[in-house]
Amino acid sequence: MPLVHLEGVSKIYRVGDQEIRALDSVDLQIGAGEFVSIIGPSGSGKSTLMHLLGCLDSPTSGRMRICGNDLSSASQNRLADVRNREIGFVFQSFNLLQKLDVIQNIELPLVYSGLPAAERRRRAEQVARDVGLADRAANRPIQLSGGQCQRVAIGRALVNNPSIIFADEPTGNLDSSTGRMILQMFKDLNASGKTIVLVTHDSDIAAVSRRVIEIHDGKIRREYFP
Amino acid sequence: MNLLVALQIGLREIASHKFRSFLSMLGIVLGVSSLISTLALTAGIERGTRAFMQQVGGLEYVSVVNKEISTQMFDFWNFSPGRTLRDARAISESAPLISHISPSLTLAAAVSSGAKSERKEVQGVFPDYFVVARHELAVGRFLTDLDVERGLHSAVVGDAIAGLFWPDLNPSAVVGKTLLINSRPFEVVGVLQKYEREEDKRRRISSGGKVSRFAQKWDPFHKKNESILIPYSTMFFDFRAGLFPLDSMESVRLDSLTLRVGDLTHFRAALDQVRSALSVTHRGVDDFDLETREEWFDRMESSMRATRLSGGLIATISLVVGGIGIMNIMLASISERVREIGIRLAVGARGRDIFIQIMVESISIALIGGVLGVVAAFGLIEILKLIDPNENTPVMTFGGIVFSVGFAVLAGLLSGIYPALRASRLNPIAALRYE
Repeated sequence: MPLVHLEGVSKIYRVGDQEIRALDSVDLQIGAGEFVSIIGPSGSGKSTLMHLLGCLDSPTSGRMRICGNDLSSASQNRLADVRNREIGFVFQSFNLLQKLDVIQNIELPLVYSGLPAAERRRRAEQVARDVGLADRAANRPIQLSGGQCQRVAIGRALVNNPSIIFADEPTGNLDSSTGRMILQMFKDLNASGKTIVLVTHDSDIAAVSRRVIEIHDGKIRREYFP
Repeated sequence: MNLLVALQIGLREIASHKFRSFLSMLGIVLGVSSLISTLALTAGIERGTRAFMQQVGGLEYVSVVNKEISTQMFDFWNFSPGRTLRDARAISESAPLISHISPSLTLAAAVSSGAKSERKEVQGVFPDYFVVARHELAVGRFLTDLDVERGLHSAVVGDAIAGLFWPDLNPSAVVGKTLLINSRPFEVVGVLQKYEREEDKRRRISSGGKVSRFAQKWDPFHKKNESILIPYSTMFFDFRAGLFPLDSMESVRLDSLTLRVGDLTHFRAALDQVRSALSVTHRGVDDFDLETREEWFDRMESSMRATRLSGGLIATISLVVGGIGIMNIMLASISERVREIGIRLAVGARGRDIFIQIMVESISIALIGGVLGVVAAFGLIEILKLIDPNENTPVMTFGGIVFSVGFAVLAGLLSGIYPALRASRLNPIAALRYE
């Protein structure tokens, strides 16, 4: 049973009278333990695909199963539950809450899982050690470097022990050496068994993964294995 | 997400924008403090008024008064004997709903003791008088049926009289002293309690017995404290009998006739009984009227209600304005935090979690504002007491505090709903992209 199973999935936006097919009958399967890159130029529909896979949105038509949940026409609340349990996000611009310190940022998903405070704290501290930020636990994001911020974000994505981690241009705001370090973290995570989906416009970055899916005009144009 | 976490987040949010939060609370602070002060003021007025009503005889007090006779009936005036002891007897026989009847005669007399002599009003009364006028003894005894029957020369005096003639003696030493009324000796058998308003009593105690110039106001108990009461029969035989030789004790015209209704639930029926009894003794001449305190008390009650209502209205308006202030701030706050809400949604917050968080924040602002309002009200009331110490000391009631703070919380709750709904309906993708 693949973690991600898309069958004829379309996403259509309406802008005035115009119909925009952001995704057009996409079939896609991603199995557990894979490291997949989704590449394509801006406007190709790769962000829409990631939003669907990341359970931030539901498709206009087609069948979509994520981690065993049929989300073809799921409500926002159901999507939120699946997001909380099964999915971790890493964004280009980190998307950390500036008012919270490292530990509080990492434990954020657990707040919405309803875990007791002590348990949240314990797990967040464990994850902070895993991403190498144990000594910055009480710092605010503004006191951290870009690479450290992205490590906090990775920690936040990991803390709920999700099935899939989505990374949307995770190196876009970082210098190249820091970027390489972050990519190495994803490789290590994948080596330890995590399923990773990396969204990028850069085929060099995509080359770190083992499977590349190229999106163009809302369709999968080709798929290759570097 | 549980409420405790929402509360933590909310309080952190409030604390991180202290000045803004304070400004948005200000409306609630003012609303709550004015609502509490209004309630305290009216509660004070109410308490003062009710105590006063009780002291002056309460609603049960009815006075039979003379009425101008209409011109058509003028020829019949002489048919009516006026208010006499026969009226009292008729009422006691045929108006069972009246529990006490007090006819009295009044005399302006030269009252003296030792070298001191003053012109004072003396009343000849029956024992019922003490009940009807709600007198309380400080020491000694009231006049009794025996005093009236035998025409004894006993007198009960008010506190002010005791203080006037025997300033150095305490009331218990005054009992047994002799008071001369128009040169006739009377033995003081009882001294009445000192009647004073709550505020005067407190001020007298706190200032160690000295009366400040604030107290030199109209005193509603002046007359009660100046009482000199002697038996009705003694009054008649000593001071009245010789004036109009044809008068008997039965036929002499009374100076006042006051009654006490036994049971207020039958107030109207009691008045009807008195009216029919008196129309017989007055031979059908409509020369009397029953004066009750109903209308007077009603007026006091309705003015209290009006005060409470107008004060409450002003306070309510300021609470509504405070609520609008909170809503404004919450709307500004969520549009500033769209991205934060997007992040929270992305990591798995449901719309409901966001809704609860905004609601908790809004209610917290209102609650903190409410508590500050209570503190402000305490101060305000203390200042009011300093500025104008009078009998209607504001009384801050627990109920008033709970009501006001509850109202503030309600305002916070209502004004939080719209911003919270807007925040909870944000689309996570759009919110994440928001700059």
